[in-house]
Amino acid sequence: MRSFRFLLVLLMGAWPTSRALGQESPYFITYDHHLEEPGNLEIETSSTMGVPRDGQHFFIAPYTELEYGVSGRWTSELYLEGQTTSGDSTIFTGWRLENRFRPFAREHRINPVLYFEYENLNQGSRIEKEIVGNDSAEADPNAEARKIRAHELETKLILSSTAHDWNLAGNFIVEKNLSQDEGFEFGYALGISRPLATLASGNNCHLCRENFNAGLELYGGLGSTDDFGFHATSHYLAPAVSWQITDNASLRFSVGAGLTHLSSPALIRIGYSYEIRGFGSKLSRMFGGK
Amino acid sequence: MGRWPLLLTSIFLGMGIAWAQNTSYQLDPGWQPPAEAANRANPLATQPGLAAGGKKLFTRNCVECHDQEGTGLVKKHAADFQLDVVQAQSDGTLFWKITNGNPDRGMPSFSNLPELQRWQLVLYLRTLRPAATQAHASMPRPNGGGPTTLPKPR
Repeated sequence: MRSFRFLLVLLMGAWPTSRALGQESPYFITYDHHLEEPGNLEIETSSTMGVPRDGQHFFIAPYTELEYGVSGRWTSELYLEGQTTSGDSTIFTGWRLENRFRPFAREHRINPVLYFEYENLNQGSRIEKEIVGNDSAEADPNAEARKIRAHELETKLILSSTAHDWNLAGNFIVEKNLSQDEGFEFGYALGISRPLATLASGNNCHLCRENFNAGLELYGGLGSTDDFGFHATSHYLAPAVSWQITDNASLRFSVGAGLTHLSSPALIRIGYSYEIRGFGSKLSRMFGGK
Repeated sequence: MGRWPLLLTSIFLGMGIAWAQNTSYQLDPGWQPPAEAANRANPLATQPGLAAGGKKLFTRNCVECHDQEGTGLVKKHAADFQLDVVQAQSDGTLFWKITNGNPDRGMPSFSNLPELQRWQLVLYLRTLRPAATQAHASMPRPNGGGPTTLPKPR
Protein backbone atom coordinates (compact mmCIF):
# COMPACT_ATOMS: atom_id res chain seq x y z
CA MET A 1 0.00 0.00 0.00
CA ARG A 2 2.84 2.34 0.87
CA SER A 3 4.60 1.66 -2.45
CA PHE A 4 1.35 2.36 -4.30
CA ARG A 5 1.07 5.76 -2.63
CA PHE A 6 4.68 6.53 -3.42
CA LEU A 7 4.06 5.64 -7.08
CA LEU A 8 0.98 7.85 -7.10
CA VAL A 9 2.94 10.82 -5.78
CA LEU A 10 5.73 10.17 -8.28
CA LEU A 11 3.25 10.07 -11.14
CA MET A 12 1.72 13.31 -9.97
CA GLY A 13 5.15 14.85 -10.07
CA ALA A 14 6.02 13.52 -13.50
CA TRP A 15 2.77 14.30 -15.28
CA PRO A 16 3.20 17.19 -17.69
CA THR A 17 1.36 20.34 -16.65
CA SER A 18 0.49 23.47 -18.50
CA ARG A 19 -0.56 27.00 -18.80
CA ALA A 20 -0.26 28.31 -22.27
CA LEU A 21 -1.68 30.66 -24.85
CA GLY A 22 -0.63 34.22 -24.59
CA GLN A 23 1.89 35.13 -21.95
CA GLU A 24 2.09 32.72 -19.08
CA SER A 25 1.84 34.34 -15.67
CA PRO A 26 4.77 33.50 -13.39
CA TYR A 27 2.59 33.44 -10.28
CA PHE A 28 2.24 30.30 -8.19
CA ILE A 29 0.05 31.72 -5.43
CA THR A 30 -1.43 34.95 -6.68
CA TYR A 31 -4.32 34.79 -9.12
CA ASP A 32 -4.84 37.43 -11.78
CA HIS A 33 -8.02 37.94 -13.79
CA HIS A 34 -7.07 35.80 -16.77
CA LEU A 35 -9.05 32.58 -17.02
CA GLU A 36 -8.54 29.44 -19.06
CA GLU A 37 -9.78 29.70 -22.65
CA PRO A 38 -13.21 28.06 -23.08
CA GLY A 39 -13.01 24.37 -23.93
CA ASN A 40 -9.27 24.09 -23.22
CA LEU A 41 -7.83 21.73 -20.65
CA GLU A 42 -4.58 22.54 -18.94
CA ILE A 43 -2.69 19.83 -17.11
CA GLU A 44 -0.15 21.10 -14.67
CA THR A 45 2.22 19.37 -12.33
CA SER A 46 3.95 21.44 -9.71
CA SER A 47 5.96 20.75 -6.63
CA THR A 48 6.55 22.75 -3.49
CA MET A 49 9.79 22.01 -1.68
CA GLY A 50 10.25 23.28 1.83
CA VAL A 51 13.65 24.00 3.30
CA PRO A 52 13.17 23.09 6.96
CA ARG A 53 13.63 25.11 10.09
CA ASP A 54 15.75 23.63 12.87
CA GLY A 55 14.23 20.40 14.11
CA GLN A 56 12.08 19.87 11.02
CA HIS A 57 12.56 17.80 7.88
CA PHE A 58 12.83 18.67 4.20
CA PHE A 59 9.61 17.96 2.35
CA ILE A 60 8.45 17.86 -1.23
CA ALA A 61 4.77 18.23 -2.03
CA PRO A 62 3.80 17.54 -5.67
CA TYR A 63 0.37 18.32 -7.01
CA THR A 64 -1.45 17.95 -10.29
CA GLU A 65 -3.95 20.49 -11.55
CA LEU A 66 -6.57 19.87 -14.21
CA GLU A 67 -7.83 23.28 -15.27
CA TYR A 68 -10.75 23.54 -17.66
CA GLY A 69 -12.25 26.60 -19.31
CA VAL A 70 -15.93 26.00 -18.76
CA SER A 71 -16.90 29.28 -20.41
CA GLY A 72 -15.35 32.62 -21.10
CA ARG A 73 -16.16 33.67 -17.55
CA TRP A 74 -15.84 30.42 -15.61
CA THR A 75 -12.79 28.25 -15.03
CA SER A 76 -12.85 25.07 -12.96
CA GLU A 77 -9.85 23.21 -11.53
CA LEU A 78 -9.33 19.88 -9.85
CA TYR A 79 -6.22 19.36 -7.70
CA LEU A 80 -4.69 16.10 -6.52
CA GLU A 81 -1.86 16.42 -4.06
CA GLY A 82 0.67 14.41 -2.11
CA GLN A 83 3.67 14.86 0.10
CA THR A 84 6.96 13.21 0.98
CA THR A 85 8.90 14.16 4.08
CA SER A 86 12.56 13.27 4.49
CA GLY A 87 13.00 10.55 7.11
CA ASP A 88 9.25 10.00 7.21
CA SER A 89 6.86 8.69 4.55
CA THR A 90 4.98 9.50 1.35
CA ILE A 91 1.27 10.13 1.58
CA PHE A 92 -1.63 11.25 -0.59
CA THR A 93 -2.95 14.36 1.09
CA GLY A 94 -6.23 15.00 -0.68
CA TRP A 95 -8.00 16.95 -3.42
CA ARG A 96 -9.49 20.34 -4.11
CA LEU A 97 -12.11 21.62 -6.51
CA GLU A 98 -11.75 25.27 -7.39
CA ASN A 99 -13.95 27.59 -9.44
CA ARG A 100 -13.27 31.12 -10.63
CA PHE A 101 -15.86 33.48 -12.04
CA ARG A 102 -15.48 36.80 -13.81
CA PRO A 103 -18.50 38.96 -13.09
CA PHE A 104 -17.74 41.48 -15.84
CA ALA A 105 -17.31 40.68 -19.50
CA ARG A 106 -15.00 43.56 -20.43
CA GLU A 107 -11.57 44.66 -19.25
CA HIS A 108 -11.63 47.38 -16.61
CA ARG A 109 -9.00 49.32 -14.74
CA ILE A 110 -9.44 46.82 -11.90
CA ASN A 111 -10.88 43.42 -12.80
CA PRO A 112 -12.54 41.39 -10.04
CA VAL A 113 -12.74 37.61 -10.06
CA LEU A 114 -14.67 35.54 -7.52
CA TYR A 115 -13.05 32.33 -6.32
CA PHE A 116 -14.68 29.39 -4.51
CA GLU A 117 -12.91 26.20 -3.51
CA TYR A 118 -13.83 23.02 -1.68
CA GLU A 119 -10.93 21.13 -0.10
CA ASN A 120 -10.89 17.56 1.15
CA LEU A 121 -7.44 17.31 2.71
CA ASN A 122 -5.61 15.77 5.58
CA GLN A 123 -3.27 17.50 7.96
CA GLY A 124 -0.25 16.38 5.91
CA SER A 125 -1.04 18.79 3.06
CA ARG A 126 2.06 20.89 2.40
CA ILE A 127 1.66 22.33 -1.09
CA GLU A 128 1.21 25.76 0.50
CA LYS A 129 -1.08 26.88 -2.31
CA GLU A 130 -2.34 29.51 0.02
CA ILE A 131 -1.07 30.67 3.39
CA VAL A 132 -3.88 31.46 5.83
CA GLY A 133 -4.47 31.78 9.54
CA ASN A 134 -1.85 31.37 12.23
CA ASP A 135 1.11 29.01 12.17
CA SER A 136 2.77 26.81 14.73
CA ALA A 137 6.37 25.64 14.84
CA GLU A 138 5.39 21.98 15.04
CA ALA A 139 4.55 19.57 12.25
CA ASP A 140 2.97 16.20 12.97
CA PRO A 141 4.54 13.01 11.57
CA ASN A 142 2.79 11.85 8.41
CA ALA A 143 1.33 8.80 10.13
CA GLU A 144 -0.51 11.10 12.51
CA ALA A 145 -1.21 13.90 10.07
CA ARG A 146 -2.94 11.67 7.51
CA LYS A 147 -5.53 10.61 10.07
CA ILE A 148 -6.73 14.13 10.63
CA ARG A 149 -9.00 15.03 7.73
CA ALA A 150 -10.45 18.43 7.04
CA HIS A 151 -13.24 19.60 4.80
CA GLU A 152 -12.68 23.25 4.04
CA LEU A 153 -14.30 25.99 2.05
CA GLU A 154 -12.13 28.77 0.72
CA THR A 155 -13.10 31.98 -1.00
CA LYS A 156 -10.95 34.67 -2.55
CA LEU A 157 -11.59 38.10 -3.86
CA ILE A 158 -9.18 38.50 -6.76
CA LEU A 159 -8.47 42.00 -8.01
CA SER A 160 -6.19 42.38 -11.00
CA SER A 161 -5.10 45.16 -13.27
CA THR A 162 -2.96 45.46 -16.39
CA ALA A 163 -1.19 48.72 -17.09
CA HIS A 164 1.65 49.34 -19.53
CA ASP A 165 2.22 45.57 -19.78
CA TRP A 166 2.59 45.25 -16.00
CA ASN A 167 0.16 43.03 -14.18
CA LEU A 168 -0.75 43.93 -10.61
CA ALA A 169 -2.87 41.46 -8.68
CA GLY A 170 -4.10 41.20 -5.12
CA ASN A 171 -6.03 38.38 -3.48
CA PHE A 172 -7.85 38.45 -0.15
CA ILE A 173 -8.47 34.95 1.19
CA VAL A 174 -11.07 33.66 3.67
CA GLU A 175 -11.05 29.99 4.66
CA LYS A 176 -13.42 28.01 6.84
CA ASN A 177 -12.69 24.56 8.22
CA LEU A 178 -15.98 22.68 8.24
CA SER A 179 -14.55 19.83 10.30
CA GLN A 180 -13.40 21.86 13.29
CA ASP A 181 -14.53 25.02 14.95
CA GLU A 182 -11.56 27.23 14.11
CA GLY A 183 -13.49 30.30 13.09
CA PHE A 184 -12.57 31.92 9.80
CA GLU A 185 -8.93 32.14 8.71
CA PHE A 186 -7.56 34.92 6.55
CA GLY A 187 -4.66 35.40 4.16
CA TYR A 188 -3.43 37.52 1.30
CA ALA A 189 -1.35 37.31 -1.85
CA LEU A 190 0.06 40.17 -3.90
CA GLY A 191 1.81 39.93 -7.23
CA ILE A 192 3.43 42.05 -9.87
CA SER A 193 4.77 40.77 -13.17
CA ARG A 194 5.81 41.81 -16.64
CA PRO A 195 6.97 40.07 -19.83
CA LEU A 196 10.65 40.59 -20.59
CA ALA A 197 9.91 41.67 -24.16
CA THR A 198 6.82 43.29 -25.59
CA LEU A 199 7.30 42.60 -29.30
CA ALA A 200 7.10 39.14 -30.86
CA SER A 201 9.82 38.19 -33.27
CA GLY A 202 8.96 36.45 -36.51
CA ASN A 203 11.18 33.51 -35.64
CA ASN A 204 10.29 30.46 -33.65
CA CYS A 205 12.71 30.89 -30.80
CA HIS A 206 12.80 29.15 -27.45
CA LEU A 207 15.17 31.18 -25.32
CA CYS A 208 14.34 34.67 -26.56
CA ARG A 209 13.11 37.26 -24.08
CA GLU A 210 9.56 37.34 -25.39
CA ASN A 211 9.02 33.83 -23.98
CA PHE A 212 9.84 34.88 -20.42
CA ASN A 213 7.72 36.63 -17.85
CA ALA A 214 9.15 37.70 -14.50
CA GLY A 215 7.40 38.74 -11.34
CA LEU A 216 7.40 39.06 -7.59
CA GLU A 217 4.90 37.64 -5.11
CA LEU A 218 4.25 38.47 -1.48
CA TYR A 219 1.91 36.19 0.43
CA GLY A 220 1.08 35.16 3.96
CA GLY A 221 -1.47 34.63 6.69
CA LEU A 222 -3.57 37.24 8.44
CA GLY A 223 -4.69 35.19 11.44
CA SER A 224 -8.27 34.23 12.15
CA THR A 225 -11.43 35.60 13.67
CA ASP A 226 -9.93 34.67 17.07
CA ASP A 227 -6.61 36.39 16.43
CA PHE A 228 -6.65 38.66 13.40
CA GLY A 229 -3.39 40.26 12.33
CA PHE A 230 0.24 39.36 11.77
CA HIS A 231 0.82 37.64 15.13
CA ALA A 232 2.19 34.08 14.69
CA THR A 233 1.84 34.07 10.93
CA SER A 234 4.02 33.04 7.98
CA HIS A 235 4.93 35.36 5.13
CA TYR A 236 7.00 34.90 2.00
CA LEU A 237 8.56 37.12 -0.63
CA ALA A 238 9.03 35.17 -3.83
CA PRO A 239 10.61 36.19 -7.14
CA ALA A 240 9.12 34.07 -9.92
CA VAL A 241 9.72 33.47 -13.60
CA SER A 242 7.81 31.66 -16.32
CA TRP A 243 9.13 30.33 -19.59
CA GLN A 244 6.88 29.58 -22.55
CA ILE A 245 8.73 26.56 -23.90
CA THR A 246 6.39 25.84 -26.80
CA ASP A 247 2.97 27.04 -27.89
CA ASN A 248 1.42 24.54 -25.50
CA ALA A 249 3.94 24.06 -22.74
CA SER A 250 5.45 26.27 -20.11
CA LEU A 251 7.67 26.06 -17.09
CA ARG A 252 7.57 28.17 -13.92
CA PHE A 253 10.02 28.56 -11.08
CA SER A 254 9.97 30.49 -7.83
CA VAL A 255 12.00 30.72 -4.65
CA GLY A 256 10.15 32.18 -1.71
CA ALA A 257 12.09 33.55 1.22
CA GLY A 258 10.44 33.20 4.62
CA LEU A 259 10.00 36.57 6.32
CA THR A 260 9.02 35.54 9.86
CA HIS A 261 10.39 33.08 12.41
CA LEU A 262 7.44 30.76 11.78
CA SER A 263 7.95 30.72 8.00
CA SER A 264 10.05 28.03 6.37
CA PRO A 265 13.43 29.54 5.48
CA ALA A 266 12.63 28.95 1.81
CA LEU A 267 9.85 27.51 -0.33
CA ILE A 268 11.03 26.40 -3.76
CA ARG A 269 8.35 25.89 -6.36
CA ILE A 270 8.57 24.46 -9.85
CA GLY A 271 5.73 23.77 -12.26
CA TYR A 272 5.35 22.42 -15.76
CA SER A 273 2.14 22.75 -17.68
CA TYR A 274 0.70 21.50 -20.95
CA GLU A 275 -2.46 22.72 -22.60
CA ILE A 276 -4.82 20.61 -24.69
CA ARG A 277 -6.74 22.99 -26.92
CA GLY A 278 -10.30 22.23 -27.83
CA PHE A 279 -10.47 19.44 -25.25
CA GLY A 280 -14.19 19.97 -24.70
CA SER A 281 -14.94 19.69 -28.44
CA LYS A 282 -12.82 16.56 -28.77
CA LEU A 283 -14.55 14.96 -25.82
CA SER A 284 -17.93 15.95 -27.16
CA ARG A 285 -17.15 14.36 -30.54
CA MET A 286 -16.14 11.15 -28.81
CA PHE A 287 -19.68 10.92 -27.49
CA GLY A 288 -21.34 11.73 -30.80
CA GLY A 289 -21.47 15.52 -30.57
CA LYS A 290 -20.79 17.75 -33.59
CA MET B 1 -19.34 13.53 4.34
CA GLY B 2 -20.58 10.61 2.19
CA ARG B 3 -20.82 10.86 -1.58
CA TRP B 4 -21.73 14.47 -2.06
CA PRO B 5 -18.19 15.77 -2.84
CA LEU B 6 -17.91 13.20 -5.66
CA LEU B 7 -21.40 14.09 -6.86
CA LEU B 8 -20.52 17.79 -6.76
CA THR B 9 -17.36 17.16 -8.79
CA SER B 10 -19.26 15.17 -11.40
CA ILE B 11 -21.92 17.87 -11.72
CA PHE B 12 -19.31 20.64 -12.13
CA LEU B 13 -17.32 18.71 -14.73
CA GLY B 14 -20.43 17.66 -16.62
CA MET B 15 -21.83 21.18 -16.67
CA GLY B 16 -18.41 22.48 -17.65
CA ILE B 17 -18.08 20.27 -20.69
CA ALA B 18 -21.64 21.00 -21.79
CA TRP B 19 -21.33 24.77 -21.35
CA ALA B 20 -18.06 25.04 -23.26
CA GLN B 21 -19.73 24.20 -26.53
CA ASN B 22 -20.91 27.01 -28.77
CA THR B 23 -24.12 25.96 -30.41
CA SER B 24 -24.53 28.87 -32.82
CA TYR B 25 -22.60 31.93 -33.91
CA GLN B 26 -24.11 35.29 -34.70
CA LEU B 27 -22.49 38.67 -35.02
CA ASP B 28 -22.89 40.43 -31.72
CA PRO B 29 -24.16 43.97 -32.28
CA GLY B 30 -23.41 44.75 -28.64
CA TRP B 31 -19.70 44.01 -29.07
CA GLN B 32 -18.58 47.47 -30.09
CA PRO B 33 -15.79 49.59 -28.65
CA PRO B 34 -16.22 53.11 -27.34
CA ALA B 35 -15.41 55.74 -29.97
CA GLU B 36 -12.12 56.62 -28.31
CA ALA B 37 -10.91 53.02 -28.56
CA ALA B 38 -12.17 52.61 -32.13
CA ASN B 39 -10.23 55.68 -33.23
CA ARG B 40 -6.87 54.50 -31.94
CA ALA B 41 -4.28 54.11 -34.66
CA ASN B 42 -1.92 51.17 -34.84
CA PRO B 43 1.47 52.42 -33.57
CA LEU B 44 3.15 49.72 -35.67
CA ALA B 45 1.37 50.61 -38.89
CA THR B 46 4.56 51.95 -40.44
CA GLN B 47 6.44 48.71 -39.67
CA PRO B 48 4.64 46.03 -41.71
CA GLY B 49 7.54 43.65 -41.23
CA LEU B 50 6.35 43.15 -37.66
CA ALA B 51 3.33 41.29 -39.04
CA ALA B 52 5.58 38.21 -39.09
CA GLY B 53 5.58 38.28 -35.30
CA GLY B 54 1.82 38.76 -35.49
CA LYS B 55 1.54 35.61 -37.55
CA LYS B 56 3.38 33.66 -34.89
CA LEU B 57 1.04 35.04 -32.23
CA PHE B 58 -1.93 34.23 -34.44
CA THR B 59 -0.79 30.63 -34.80
CA ARG B 60 -0.31 30.34 -31.07
CA ASN B 61 -3.49 32.03 -29.92
CA CYS B 62 -6.09 32.23 -32.67
CA VAL B 63 -5.81 29.25 -35.05
CA GLU B 64 -7.69 27.00 -32.67
CA CYS B 65 -10.93 28.83 -33.54
CA HIS B 66 -10.18 31.04 -36.55
CA ASP B 67 -8.19 28.51 -38.61
CA GLN B 68 -4.78 29.01 -40.20
CA GLU B 69 -6.16 31.22 -43.00
CA GLY B 70 -8.33 33.20 -40.62
CA THR B 71 -11.53 32.02 -42.27
CA GLY B 72 -13.02 30.89 -38.97
CA LEU B 73 -13.94 27.34 -38.11
CA VAL B 74 -17.62 26.65 -38.61
CA LYS B 75 -17.72 24.27 -35.68
CA LYS B 76 -16.36 27.07 -33.48
CA HIS B 77 -18.75 29.65 -34.95
CA ALA B 78 -15.71 31.93 -35.16
CA ALA B 79 -15.43 35.09 -37.26
CA ASP B 80 -13.98 34.96 -40.77
CA PHE B 81 -11.26 37.62 -40.94
CA GLN B 82 -11.35 37.63 -44.72
CA LEU B 83 -14.89 39.01 -44.77
CA ASP B 84 -15.33 42.66 -45.65
CA VAL B 85 -17.46 43.17 -42.57
CA VAL B 86 -14.40 42.32 -40.46
CA GLN B 87 -11.76 44.05 -42.56
CA ALA B 88 -13.87 47.23 -42.66
CA GLN B 89 -13.43 47.60 -38.92
CA SER B 90 -10.78 50.03 -37.77
CA ASP B 91 -7.45 48.94 -36.31
CA GLY B 92 -8.58 50.36 -32.99
CA THR B 93 -11.74 48.25 -33.07
CA LEU B 94 -9.84 45.05 -33.78
CA PHE B 95 -7.34 45.89 -31.03
CA TRP B 96 -10.17 46.53 -28.57
CA LYS B 97 -11.83 43.22 -29.48
CA ILE B 98 -8.59 41.28 -29.03
CA THR B 99 -8.00 43.02 -25.71
CA ASN B 100 -11.47 42.60 -24.24
CA GLY B 101 -12.69 39.45 -25.92
CA ASN B 102 -16.36 38.56 -25.92
CA PRO B 103 -16.47 35.87 -23.25
CA ASP B 104 -20.18 35.30 -23.47
CA ARG B 105 -19.72 34.32 -27.14
CA GLY B 106 -16.61 32.21 -26.59
CA MET B 107 -13.96 34.78 -27.56
CA PRO B 108 -11.42 35.07 -24.72
CA SER B 109 -9.65 38.26 -23.72
CA PHE B 110 -6.00 38.49 -24.74
CA SER B 111 -5.14 41.35 -22.44
CA ASN B 112 -2.41 39.10 -21.05
CA LEU B 113 -0.45 39.71 -24.25
CA PRO B 114 1.72 42.84 -24.20
CA GLU B 115 0.04 45.78 -25.91
CA LEU B 116 2.48 45.86 -28.82
CA GLN B 117 1.92 42.18 -29.48
CA ARG B 118 -1.81 42.83 -29.74
CA TRP B 119 -1.06 45.53 -32.31
CA GLN B 120 1.13 42.99 -34.13
CA LEU B 121 -1.90 40.72 -34.29
CA VAL B 122 -3.89 43.55 -35.86
CA LEU B 123 -1.10 44.02 -38.41
CA TYR B 124 -1.28 40.36 -39.31
CA LEU B 125 -5.08 40.29 -39.48
CA ARG B 126 -4.84 42.94 -42.21
CA THR B 127 -2.85 40.52 -44.34
CA LEU B 128 -5.63 37.93 -44.22
CA ARG B 129 -7.95 39.67 -46.68
CA PRO B 130 -8.53 37.85 -49.98
CA ALA B 131 -6.03 38.74 -52.71
CA ALA B 132 -8.64 40.63 -54.78
CA THR B 133 -9.25 43.15 -52.04
CA GLN B 134 -5.59 43.66 -51.18
CA ALA B 135 -5.26 45.91 -54.23
CA HIS B 136 -7.32 48.44 -52.31
CA ALA B 137 -5.30 48.05 -49.17
CA SER B 138 -3.65 51.44 -49.40
CA MET B 139 -7.02 53.16 -49.05
CA PRO B 140 -7.59 54.59 -45.58
CA ARG B 141 -10.22 52.86 -43.49
CA PRO B 142 -12.84 54.66 -41.45
CA ASN B 143 -12.28 55.36 -37.78
CA GLY B 144 -8.55 55.55 -37.69
CA GLY B 145 -7.45 52.48 -39.59
CA GLY B 146 -3.80 52.87 -40.53
CA PRO B 147 -2.08 52.39 -43.87
CA THR B 148 -2.00 48.76 -44.85
CA THR B 149 0.75 48.11 -47.36
CA LEU B 150 1.30 44.73 -45.78
CA PRO B 151 2.81 41.50 -47.02
CA LYS B 152 0.50 38.89 -48.48
CA PRO B 153 -0.28 35.89 -46.36
CA ARG B 154 1.77 32.84 -47.13
